[in-house]
Amino acid sequence: MKVSELAETEGFRAIALPEPGREIEGCYIGDLLSWVMGRAREGNAWVTIMSNINIAAVASLADVSCVILAEGVEPDAQVCETALAKGINLITAGLPAYEVAVKLSGMI
Amino acid sequence: MKELSLNILDIAMNSVKAGAKNVDITIDEQGPELNLTIRDDGCGMSPEQVEEVTNPFFTTRTTRKVGMGVPLLKLAAEQTGGKLTVTSRQGEEKHGTETKALFYTDHIDFTPLGDIVSSICTLIQGSPAIDWHFVHGRDGKTVELDTKELRQVLGDVPLDSYEVIKWIEDYLKEGYSSI
Repeated sequence: MKVSELAETEGFRAIALPEPGREIEGCYIGDLLSWVMGRAREGNAWVTIMSNINIAAVASLADVSCVILAEGVEPDAQVCETALAKGINLITAGLPAYEVAVKLSGMI
Repeated sequence: MKELSLNILDIAMNSVKAGAKNVDITIDEQGPELNLTIRDDGCGMSPEQVEEVTNPFFTTRTTRKVGMGVPLLKLAAEQTGGKLTVTSRQGEEKHGTETKALFYTDHIDFTPLGDIVSSICTLIQGSPAIDWHFVHGRDGKTVELDTKELRQVLGDVPLDSYEVIKWIEDYLKEGYSSI
């Protein structure tokens, strides 16, 4: 499934979609950024509640297909700008991380 | 990072890369406040670089475009209600960088210090030509190691020889058992 399709799904909302055509391959959940850096795989949808600028850097390093902010978390304005500039897809979801993953698993 | 000692390792490696001859690592704990200072006499940074150093998309690396050492330390400090400051100067005479982080150890998001002894030993073993000065004070008690003093006793024995590193490890562990 493409990131743009996920963004249109009920309960999800796009914050920044510079690369809407990226394919979602699997999912990784984690908030400890240094841990995620080494473990999230290329193409994963990364689900987190962290919302500071460092998530853009981790997403870029791990080359995830998108970052999904769970629990309705909104990123700082600076994060949006950086995501657009660095080609990182950002999506927010009102659901907790577990429920985001459950929903994802039925779709990808 | 799951341990603050790994953040310290990361930041001290910046001092190594900056060509420092002396690196001071100080941890000062008073009540709930923990002050971490890493000071070096390396090449230092320009004001523009200092400005950008907490930005994860700033790095001196050429192999990738993202540098996470300082941003992650800043995050770890701010998560506890603390802060991070970096000051630096370049030039002929006094040059170097000082990274200071304040943590509140009674905050639930405080990252435990972890295995600081391993981090110090790793740094000394990895860069034995540098003089390392480590001080950890906790409510009036202190653990301290100064490789300058060690060298005077050791003479020609290199700092990174197995026996010396093992001695440093045991010495620090013993120190920690009393603070």
